[in-house]
Amino acid sequence: MQNMSWLAVSFEVVLLVGALAVLLVAVVSGRSRAVWGPIVGLAFALSFVAGLWQWSAVADGQGGMFFSAQNVEIAVSPMVVLDGYSAFAAMLLGAVGFFGFLGSWDLQVRLGKRAAEFSALMLLGVAGLHMMAATPNLLVIFVGLETASISFYILAGFTRKARGSDESALKYFLLGSLASALFLYGVALTFAATGSLSLYGANSIRDFFVNNILTEPGVLLVGMALMLVGLMFKVSAAPFHQWAPDVYQGAPSGAVGLMAAGVKVAGFAALGRIFVAGLASQIDVWGPIFAGVAAVSMIVGTTMALVQDDLKRLLAYSGVAHAGYLLAALVAGYDGFEAMWFYLATYAFMVVGAFTVVSVVNGPGSSSTSLSTLKGLASRNPHLAWLMAVIMLGMSGMPFFAGFVGKALAFVAAGQADYLWLVVVGTLTTVIGLAFYLRVVSTMFQTADSNDLGQVEMSATSNVTVLVAAGVTLVFGVLPWPLLEVVRDALPL
Amino acid sequence: MPVLSILIALPFIGALIVSLLPRRRPEIVFPVALGVSLAPLAVVLYVLSEFPVGDPNIQFPEFHVVSETFGIAWQLGIDGISLFMVALTAILFPISIAASRSVTDKLKTYMVLLLLLEGAVLGVFLALDMIIFFAFFEIVLIPMYLLISMWGSENRRYASIKFVLFTATGSAFLLVGIVALAILAGDLVGTASSFNFAVMLQVPMSDTTQLWLFAAFGIAFAIKVPLFPFHTWLPDAHTEAPTAGSVILAGVLLKMGTYGLLRFNLMLFPDAVVDAAPVLGVLGVIGIVYGAAVAIVQPDVKRLIAYSSVSHMGFIVLGTFALTSQALEGALFLMISHGLTTGALFLLIGMIYERTHTRAIADYGGLAKVMPEYSGIFLFIIFASAGLPGLSGFVGEFMILIGTYLTMPVLAVIAGFGVILAAVYLLWAYERVFTGPTNPKLEGLKDLGFREIAIMVPLVVLIIGLGVYPKPVMERISPSVEIILERIEAETDYEVPTFGRAEDVAQVAEAGVGEGQG
Repeated sequence: MQNMSWLAVSFEVVLLVGALAVLLVAVVSGRSRAVWGPIVGLAFALSFVAGLWQWSAVADGQGGMFFSAQNVEIAVSPMVVLDGYSAFAAMLLGAVGFFGFLGSWDLQVRLGKRAAEFSALMLLGVAGLHMMAATPNLLVIFVGLETASISFYILAGFTRKARGSDESALKYFLLGSLASALFLYGVALTFAATGSLSLYGANSIRDFFVNNILTEPGVLLVGMALMLVGLMFKVSAAPFHQWAPDVYQGAPSGAVGLMAAGVKVAGFAALGRIFVAGLASQIDVWGPIFAGVAAVSMIVGTTMALVQDDLKRLLAYSGVAHAGYLLAALVAGYDGFEAMWFYLATYAFMVVGAFTVVSVVNGPGSSSTSLSTLKGLASRNPHLAWLMAVIMLGMSGMPFFAGFVGKALAFVAAGQADYLWLVVVGTLTTVIGLAFYLRVVSTMFQTADSNDLGQVEMSATSNVTVLVAAGVTLVFGVLPWPLLEVVRDALPL
Repeated sequence: MPVLSILIALPFIGALIVSLLPRRRPEIVFPVALGVSLAPLAVVLYVLSEFPVGDPNIQFPEFHVVSETFGIAWQLGIDGISLFMVALTAILFPISIAASRSVTDKLKTYMVLLLLLEGAVLGVFLALDMIIFFAFFEIVLIPMYLLISMWGSENRRYASIKFVLFTATGSAFLLVGIVALAILAGDLVGTASSFNFAVMLQVPMSDTTQLWLFAAFGIAFAIKVPLFPFHTWLPDAHTEAPTAGSVILAGVLLKMGTYGLLRFNLMLFPDAVVDAAPVLGVLGVIGIVYGAAVAIVQPDVKRLIAYSSVSHMGFIVLGTFALTSQALEGALFLMISHGLTTGALFLLIGMIYERTHTRAIADYGGLAKVMPEYSGIFLFIIFASAGLPGLSGFVGEFMILIGTYLTMPVLAVIAGFGVILAAVYLLWAYERVFTGPTNPKLEGLKDLGFREIAIMVPLVVLIIGLGVYPKPVMERISPSVEIILERIEAETDYEVPTFGRAEDVAQVAEAGVGEGQG
């Protein structure tokens, strides 16, 4: 193994050490939350710091590709890449992990003794997610994908006795592993067509297209299509989204936020790395497909969300639509990365915040969460209702909320890439989307069915999570410039 | 001093102050909200006093670059077109807040939303950067939506969501148009995009591009106006909204549409304007006649006023696209006048609704005997709304008709019937509500109190003042209007008819007033 770099893998190392520490401490200390809880928080916080460290190192020109073996023909390829792209993903995933963990604290309290495993799985899952963003090697992307997916399959079914949780986990597992298999098959076919697993560097796929033209690209096309399907499944883009509503609905509310937000971030990071950066020369092939999937996702996600009566299903379908807007940014190729990262960075917090609200209102272990449970929230806990309103308006893409800036950037990118029709579809679905986001808002401000429901109590951890989510939505909605300056440099090598 | 930034910030600061009031003291919410809403009015009075006559340039300009790469700047300014829209906003908001005495449910939220709405509306009229304009234009929806859906009457949920969906659909097209134009403008100055209105004015565009962008902008504003056939959201929203919501909706929010047409469509796409003017003129006339005809048969007095709004807004659109000085100035003047008269009508309806809780015309009758002061003021406002000479409504409509006759004589004649129809639906409604035998249920109703009369006095004074002496308004409007017409003449083969460039158009209006009175 040549040119190792602790810096490049510091994020994963911190989280893995944290996961092991939690498990050990839980065994030794009689599984007292008071002891390992801070460890998990610390691990996520340190992982964020690792991200910051990587970011400043990249800014100083210390980025590059690491963990390569020069002499073996296949393994010439490096395994880890350190660039603005991976460093930003590290910061984002570290922060989302931290607040996702905070938001799930109520659930962990309820889980009692089993909570240590729950936290350890969260740490492992986030480590896997970042691997997807920080490697130029297709196989390592797959390993990261599986690490994250398996962790999340278990998280989804963690409240085994709750109705829906086991069904949710099984469904997630069966469909998810099918998608992973498809992705792996796609990797294999791409390798067959190009002779490389490496996206860039020496003997890489990118190099291959510099020097060669495939006269019969059938194998490559099938390979690309399969990889695409696998990743589109993970980010729940239509028509590969059917699992999302069921899984979100069945999984314990406290756990969904991190799962939903983290997978979107990593899935899009991987899509961007593989297609936009690695297969940049094939943009004429995958660009229209991205655009088509984007349009279908926006339309299906928005229209299906309109008719949902369950809050988690509604958020799941809104997530499908958001996958569409994110894909719309990527059809512009490199020019779309800025929009993609801004969108992801703000949307991830909104998702975590929204599911934390669901968890506060319905209980952290709840499976189905009827929209009517929000009725009267404005009088039962006005603070929470206003924060949720901010998050919903953020998701809907209202100006002065972060969602608008993300969408506007995505539309500008798509427009400049001559996908004006996609911009039209996107803006129209944004409008229709207003109907269900505002429905959530107005439900909260309706009078409750009965007066004896009392106040909705909120723990300090949930409060902080929701407050941060709403804060991010508002601050970056009104003043997006600092974040825009950052994401401008979050580019792959 | 950044006067305009302060002006926009004041309502937001006011909203913050109101939201921080202690929960234990609900009785101070109303006076505090009223007090803070007077602060923007004070600033507007200062702006009005400083605004120079006969200067077409942007006054009180502010320019702070926000993003170099995207060409976004915090750019504000005020000219003859926006001056009186801003003034109207600053007048109507304190009045609607004062008229909300009977709101008790979640009063603090209600006042906060009204103040947020005021800030956003002021932003719409003052922004000269398209993305900032769009942001304010779009965000106006949220407080208005919540006002209707939380404090509206029975059918509020349907009406509020219909309002949002209609207007937001329009804004979607507007956003596409703005982004496309910004990318074109960006090419001009070498950035990714530029949202600077002044830069956008210089973008060379083919006729087709202009037509597409004109349509994108036009649909958004036409829905907001609302222009026939996009008007169906308005009667529902008006009927269900609380009194203050209706006043603001009719008085200010609809003007955002006509303001957009005037400032952006006419200025940015001169070729397309000349091509599309007949179409929009016809739609405007259909709106005038259709709105008036439908208003006649409405059983619900709020719906009646809503349809009368459709009719009046048709006049404004017709005047805008007649492309003569008189018609354009008349359109701007009618925007002010309609805000005052229709706002006043909704206030009056709100006052009687608080007493009787019914809006059906059939439930009334003979009210004049029970509430003489109320019926007197009502009759006065009806006369103003119907365009009685000597009152503000007449000046605008008369100038629009004169100006339109020069370029679109047929439409002007048809529109003239709209004036007659307005008298029919308004006076017939008055007859059914106020005259005849008194409905026994109405016996013993209290006439207007001091607060209610105090609310109406400024509106009545303004309606008379503008009707008798429109010159101060006209001489500030007309330089800005001339700029628009000069630009259209310079960019296209269109020529404004000679009479349409009468040196002192205000004189024509005054002559018209004199004639009518004689």
